[in-house]
Amino acid sequence: MLNDLKKIWHPIASSAEVQKRHVFHAQLLGREYAVWRADDGNVNVWENRCLHRGVRLTIGINEGTELRCQYHGWRYANRTAGCTYIPAHPADAPARTICNNTYPVKEAMGMVWSGEEAFAEPVHFKNFEKYTVLRPIPINGNFNIIREMLSAKYRLLGHTTRDEVNGVLKVILKNGEVILFFVQPQDSNLSVLRGVVNQKYSDSERVLFLRAQNRILQSLRNDIEVLSKKRQIDPMIVQIAQVSSELSKMPQKKDIGRQAVLRVQVAEKKKTAKDIVSIKLVSLRDQLPTFQPGAHIDLHLQNGLIRQYSLVNGPGETNFYNIGVKLDALSTGGSEYLHKDIREGDVLACSVPRNNFPLRRDSLKTIFVAGGIGLTPLLSMAQSLDVMNLNYEFHYFVQNEDHIAFSSILKKLKKTPLVHQGLSPKLTKKKLNEILLYHNNSMNLYVCGPGPMLETTRQVAAELDWPDNSVHFEYFKNSNVIDDSSSFKIELARSALSLKVQSGQSVLEVLRANGLDLPSSCEQGACGTCKVSVVDGAIDHQDVYLNESEKLKGNVMMTCVSRALSKRLILDI
Amino acid sequence: MIELYDYELSGNCYKIRLMLSFLKLDYVSKKVEFHPGKEHKSEKFLEINPLGQLPVLSDTNLVLRDAQAILVYLARKYDKKNIWCPIDDPEKLGLIAQWLSFGDLITGSSSAARLHDTLFYTEFDIGECRERAHAQFRILDEHLFFQEQLNQSWICDGEKPTIADIACFPYIALSEEGGISRMSYPAIRRWMDRFKRIDGFIVMPGVFPAGPRSF
Repeated sequence: MLNDLKKIWHPIASSAEVQKRHVFHAQLLGREYAVWRADDGNVNVWENRCLHRGVRLTIGINEGTELRCQYHGWRYANRTAGCTYIPAHPADAPARTICNNTYPVKEAMGMVWSGEEAFAEPVHFKNFEKYTVLRPIPINGNFNIIREMLSAKYRLLGHTTRDEVNGVLKVILKNGEVILFFVQPQDSNLSVLRGVVNQKYSDSERVLFLRAQNRILQSLRNDIEVLSKKRQIDPMIVQIAQVSSELSKMPQKKDIGRQAVLRVQVAEKKKTAKDIVSIKLVSLRDQLPTFQPGAHIDLHLQNGLIRQYSLVNGPGETNFYNIGVKLDALSTGGSEYLHKDIREGDVLACSVPRNNFPLRRDSLKTIFVAGGIGLTPLLSMAQSLDVMNLNYEFHYFVQNEDHIAFSSILKKLKKTPLVHQGLSPKLTKKKLNEILLYHNNSMNLYVCGPGPMLETTRQVAAELDWPDNSVHFEYFKNSNVIDDSSSFKIELARSALSLKVQSGQSVLEVLRANGLDLPSSCEQGACGTCKVSVVDGAIDHQDVYLNESEKLKGNVMMTCVSRALSKRLILDI
Repeated sequence: MIELYDYELSGNCYKIRLMLSFLKLDYVSKKVEFHPGKEHKSEKFLEINPLGQLPVLSDTNLVLRDAQAILVYLARKYDKKNIWCPIDDPEKLGLIAQWLSFGDLITGSSSAARLHDTLFYTEFDIGECRERAHAQFRILDEHLFFQEQLNQSWICDGEKPTIADIACFPYIALSEEGGISRMSYPAIRRWMDRFKRIDGFIVMPGVFPAGPRSF
């Protein structure tokens, strides 16, 4: 019985009740839901508990693009319910597995519908193109008692009633108008009676009609509650999903290497600046996984190349991935392919988003320095700070006006971006000195752009005594020449393996050849995905991901390019 | 100078703190230890209010008890814009008085349930308190639903909230501390969001802020 009820669609709210910037509190078959409408109109139906401490999300805050828990401020994204930020860990990107339970949702006939396992198409009711939703009536009573007494009540008033599928009651009023009644079983002894009539009234007629029906239903409620007090039924038992077994056990061995688990389609490709195209990718199958500001994806192109692109998306924009691609004059096939060969409608494979460039949101002020196409991750970050009303300055260095990309997003930022056009390297350095001159320990700098500009920015920041851990950067690529001539031993402390890395092989390759699947993305020491902890040994850092103090500390390395200076390294894997 | 005999966890004192904040008035908060000291039943305090209840307001020569009475006084004396308690419309004034007294009924049910659950007032019949609160919430939810149908946002008609909204808000917002869920009162939940967005709104322990309304 309960299992059958789980499979059908139930109305859980009137559409008008699920207002923007509000969280509606619903319950169905014993399970509580937090129901909220994002600013883009999408309705989310989630388990009503924060994954952190179990607090109800219905006391949380609907910020329009994300739902924020009232207790410790964890933020969950529109659609995916993935966690995008944990205030107590400002420097870390939340794990992608931190994702709340979501339930199916549809809007029809002025109501929001859901069902724990409602995967089939909902029943369509004819002649309900025009409708008015009645005031929902919560009743302390079992849904079966309500259905029986509801039908009797309307028959007593001289109307005709008819039972429809799934326990729906059709009432044909004396004037020919039809009301459909749905009993939403919140729990064994708690229900909401929801009705919709196939008529749209003028304002004054509507209020009169709603009041008249409300009177009938409240009188019915009184009768039902008297009876229900005598017939109490045990409450429904709700299973709260545990951590899935695949997350609690060692994963099965699978194909090793860079994975492209998502199938995406090019929904939109348009020029956004000279030599830069904006590409919007939508999922061919399921909901796209959650991204955080600063995240990038690996695109697997049909010509066999794998390239990394940062997401430009603002918070809550979870039904597509938007990337910017600059045509590289020295293209080895990636950017040229995306510019010339890819068309709208094409299907590509891509990885889940990874975030090795996380945004701290506890700064009193954030400075963004973007150079050229390095704009993309920083644009995503600035939009995130905007929804939290946090302070920042956005500097954008470009050759000239024609090179300004994503100007529609730039215009929407709350802090007007400062565009610096056509500066020579010398003038760029002078400008950076002005931008970075004033700082204190509650400020953070995020910089992304071409190699030389990034070097200059880091150098200026260091000269002006910015602490290393306040300067965050991301290179497009590692232009260092990798010296892989050394050979050394690696001991894997947790796997109890001892392996040899020969010259010409990378640590990553050796690990994979021995069955250890380590995530990787750019495989040239720029993105930080293949980072592992080092327990002992001297590291030969050859990446551009770590900053100087991290390199000196010597407790992490990028396994795709970095090697050993000592005879052996002990790795924490 | 206005002085408020005040207890941080009291919803009735919170009504006055809200009014003072909405009117941007300075005042001195004189702390009375309601729990566990029961200072409101001390001889010293009974001289100020023989009923032994909080809040009490003193302003120049006036000493005034009863949250609803204090709301009327503050609104009439200090609200230069005549918004919070307009007296030129007799019908509206009558309705304001009606809902002020409804606010006091909610104190008798929801606040009593909360005292039972959080401050060990075990002599109250908790089941009966909750039942009365639910009956009252049903009445207000129905009222607010039809107010919305008529494009009215507040308990009494008009563009702006009145002291009737202030009198009803605290013990509804604190009801869950007395085991009274508001899930079945969606119109009340929407009204609470609107109330929390009034310019000058302040919180108290157990009452959470709303997010920004802009979109």
